[in-house]
This record gives sequence, C-alpha cells and structure tokens, in this order.
Amino acid sequence: MKAERSAIAPTAVFRDRMLREVPGLRAFSVSLCGSFHKADDLVQDVLLKAWGHSDSFMEGTNMRAWLFTIARNTYYSLYRKRGREVQDVDGMYTANLAIAPSQEGVMDLADFRIALAKLPDEQREVLILVGASGLSYEQAAEICGVAVGTIKSRVSRGRARLGELLGIETTSDIGPDQKAISAMHSRVTVPSLS
Amino acid sequence: MTQEPKLRNGASHATNSGKPCKATEPAFGNGVRDAIGLSLQAHFDDIANTPVPDKFLVLLAELEAKEARSES
Repeated sequence: MKAERSAIAPTAVFRDRMLREVPGLRAFSVSLCGSFHKADDLVQDVLLKAWGHSDSFMEGTNMRAWLFTIARNTYYSLYRKRGREVQDVDGMYTANLAIAPSQEGVMDLADFRIALAKLPDEQREVLILVGASGLSYEQAAEICGVAVGTIKSRVSRGRARLGELLGIETTSDIGPDQKAISAMHSRVTVPSLS
Repeated sequence: MTQEPKLRNGASHATNSGKPCKATEPAFGNGVRDAIGLSLQAHFDDIANTPVPDKFLVLLAELEAKEARSES
C-alpha cells in the first residue's frame, strides 16, 4: 500500500532534512579524517548509507545525531585503518578563517587545529560532538557507545591536553559545566543503526 | 526530547549549547575552558560554513528521483 510504503521509503522531506545536516556532517567528518578530501568520501558514504537505512531513523529524534553515528561507525570500520592524514593539517586549514587572528582573546585557529589534530581520536571526537556540534553529553554517549561519565572524562582530558599543546594554563576552571550537570538529570534516546 | 539543530549560516556564530557567543570578550580572562570552547566552535563553524559541494546535492537529488520512480 502506498501509505505504508511512504512511512518507510525516504522522501523528499527526508532528503531535505539530511541536506540541512550536510554542513555539520562535513565539519564532523573533517575533524575525524583530518582532511577535506577523505571527509567528503566519508560524507558521501554516510549519505548513501543513511538513505538506504532511512527506515532505521526514528521520527522525532535528532537527525544530526543519527548521521554522526553512521559517520563515526563508518570512519572506524573503513577509514581509520587507511591512516589519518595528519600531514594535511596545515594545507587544509588555510582557507577562510571564521575569526580573524587579530581578534582579542581568541586563539589562532590554525594553531588550534594543529593541536586538535594531535589529540587521540577518542578525545578529539567528543570535544567536537559536545563542544562544537551542539549535541548533548547523552547524545555523544549514544554516538560513541560509551557511558555519559566516559564522555565527560574524555572531554576533560581532551581539554587539558589541548591546553598543554597550546601552552596555556589548564589547572583551573576545568570542572563540570551546566551541560554536564543537566546531563546527570535527563536521558535522551538516540537511535543507532542495527 | 532532542531538539533539531538549527541550520547554520555565515552570519550566525552562536553556539547550540544555549550559551551566548562570547567571541568579543577576552577568552583567556574567562578561563581555558572558554578559550578552548570558542576555538572548537570556530573550527567547526568555519568548516560548516564552507559551501556544500554540488556532488552531494546531486547525489541526494538522484537518490530521491530514483525513489520517486520506483514508487510510481
């Protein structure tokens, strides 16, 4: 029946929702892969998989979290063994910097990216998920398949390591923030690919 | 329940975490966490604000067209 099929088959609406997430998906993928080149291969794989598994997306849940889950799984199962392209870090980031280096108080983005690329994968990914992509600690925990407490400790260690790499003081002001506190009081369900 | 992230655009630089963007304040004065948080956001937004390659638009349009054909 047509009505039943349309509940499962991806639609133009579904496509548009995916399309809206492509910029964020690219940003996450570049952070994982270390280059635009590999990241765009990954994005393409993710879009194809997501389309093919559209029936596993639960309506009312977060499209970004779902796509990031697919991206992360695909990255670790296929891409990571090919090696992260750390050597591309300098070249990939010469393009448009969102914040001018001269702006007061904001560290140089190019320096920051070189430091970010040196972090262990597990620390870098959680910093991006929680610190930049707008996802919650619970969503990051679902995406990475670990406990919320593990996410929090990875964020903490990742921040401290970044601070060390960038040569800034890290002994103070590192503790649970509002997001971490609220994470302890709520649970959110995020679907994963079966 | 989860909330749908807003579409990013070049003009907006607010974080999705509910905190106001503090890009104009001295980040180091607010501690290392803020400095790193701002930079993480800047890193992410900078990439997210780059134009989406046409090949992704084409790919999704093709997938959708194929789906539409198989339904008819």
